[in-house]
Amino acid sequence: MNALPVRTEAEQALGFDLPHRRMEEWRWTDLRQLVDRPYPPRQKEVAAAGDVERLLASSLFRNVAATRMVFVNGEYDAAHSRMANGWVESRIPMEDPLVRLNTSFATDGARLKFEGNTDTPVELVFIATDAAPRMLATHNVIEVADNSSATLIETHLGAGTYLSSSITEIRVGHGARLDRVKSEIEAPGATHLAHADVTLAHSATLRDFTLTTGARVNRQNGTYRFAGEYADARVSGAYLLAGRQHADTRLVVDHQLANCVSRELFKCVLGEQARGIFQGKVIVRPGAQKTDGKQSSHALLLSGTAEFDAKPELEIYADDVACGHGATAGELNHDHLFYLKSRGIPEAEAKALLIAAFAGEAFETIHHDGLREALTAFAAHWLTQHRRAS
Amino acid sequence: MNLLDIKNLHVKLEDEDREILRGLTLSVKPGEVHAIMGPNGSGKSTLSYVLSGREGYEVTEGSVTFKGEDLLEMAPEMRAAKGVFLAFQYPIEIPGVATMQFLKVALNAQRKARGEKELSTPDFMRLVKDRAAKLNVTQDMLKRPVNVGFSGGEKKRAEILQMAVLEPSLCILDETDSGLDIDALRVVADGVNALRSPDRAMIVITHYQRLLDYIVPDFVHVLSAGRIVKSGDKGLARELEAKGYAEFSKDAA
Repeated sequence: MNALPVRTEAEQALGFDLPHRRMEEWRWTDLRQLVDRPYPPRQKEVAAAGDVERLLASSLFRNVAATRMVFVNGEYDAAHSRMANGWVESRIPMEDPLVRLNTSFATDGARLKFEGNTDTPVELVFIATDAAPRMLATHNVIEVADNSSATLIETHLGAGTYLSSSITEIRVGHGARLDRVKSEIEAPGATHLAHADVTLAHSATLRDFTLTTGARVNRQNGTYRFAGEYADARVSGAYLLAGRQHADTRLVVDHQLANCVSRELFKCVLGEQARGIFQGKVIVRPGAQKTDGKQSSHALLLSGTAEFDAKPELEIYADDVACGHGATAGELNHDHLFYLKSRGIPEAEAKALLIAAFAGEAFETIHHDGLREALTAFAAHWLTQHRRAS
Repeated sequence: MNLLDIKNLHVKLEDEDREILRGLTLSVKPGEVHAIMGPNGSGKSTLSYVLSGREGYEVTEGSVTFKGEDLLEMAPEMRAAKGVFLAFQYPIEIPGVATMQFLKVALNAQRKARGEKELSTPDFMRLVKDRAAKLNVTQDMLKRPVNVGFSGGEKKRAEILQMAVLEPSLCILDETDSGLDIDALRVVADGVNALRSPDRAMIVITHYQRLLDYIVPDFVHVLSAGRIVKSGDKGLARELEAKGYAEFSKDAA
């Protein structure tokens, strides 16, 4: 007797059913409501002169020595890129609605295989220039060969109102290491829907950090699978949100095999009417003994109207494991504030220091000094300079 | 001119009716060291918080004038920039904020508020290194987050280091001797004594006379039930040590 709901305007334009709150994983992020206008799939667009340069300059990592690959409005932009694209086959499962949405429309994306030890970070920059509301979809596939290492930066930014759909598929080889730093600094009118699908081979190491601060609506999924033993994945993130921003991260860490380590740490700063959500699921499959999996999420609420929801889930089918989770939400500590002010630090600066200190814990897993420093500086100035008006 | 004039100060907690300070009057001139002694609950810490501007207290009567201006009207950071410094009884731990960064932000914020030029990083480093060495504050402590993982003695030394770097004109030391063994006490007292100068005044709040063997005051006041009930010279501290506060606690009842 379940009548199919009538498609929203946005769904009609996409020709696609969006996930909604009656689906458990989407209970806080009802895209049928949040995607509140049609975003027709991208038309071929030419960016206005100077637009790309101006937007490129807003990357947090503009001063970090990096090799850049630039995608403008969903397409590789040779003029602003410092490296050529390659080809790596996609193997992503099609179960997730965001993955299906993306693969229906993806126009381009980085396809890179890293071999050997790459010292200079590679920054992928995804730019949406100001134009009519539309959807832009990119699909990256990144492979780090056995015993190789690389540092990958993903920057998502733009101007105007648009929906940005992004998939990053990652395979980290035997004994290999990937350091990934993603910054979502999209335009205030943007909707950012992303999915990271990561597979780690035997003895692989992953350090994955995501800054979430730009878009009006953000949903980021991450799936982390251990396909070999003795792999180690640390997934961390920071939210710096204000106005009516909404960000929801859902991670699934799947311990299929024994002797792997996973850590998730999210620090969420939420001001005004912002809403932050963290959903973390850890699965320990039968036989995945000696699994060491822990997750925690912490929110700093800067106003009485900000909201934080956390949903930790543990599914454990092995008996010799160390797993745990924790979530907290609180406001700025008044004793800390008074101590700083009593030393002459004005209120706004004192708050900024404490916010940066709170978020900073999530930066600690970032190995690259320049990247960590750029994020620290951004967090320190966020309250006074970058915060969006509602 | 007096540096600080407290006149008939009445203070209560914002959410309680009971008065904690009940007509406290005290004048401090530049260069003077005043000790305020008193039993627990006499209002010693309240006085230090009200002078430094902590929230949660309500002044119901009286005035506090500092350098000729109404101190109670100023925000805590403005009081600090004008020269008020409170060395906390329990220094606050602030995870994630490095001690060096904290000191630099504080010093430059104060300089900016006073219309002075900010200190360059090399000049600042030289200043802190010089002051830290005298207080046995190690480089390792300076790299750590503010007071995090510091022992009791380290915390008190760090407070005095902040004082030495910020160079206030009124230092309020709240139970600086609490939790210190005799060696740590000596280091802290030496640090404080090094900061005594003709244009800097100190209010030393303490329960015990012991600290006053090392930081010798010009005046000693007994605080009981929210007001100063007796004043004298350093001899009064010895008298109190011998007799205890019993004589004054009748007053409190």
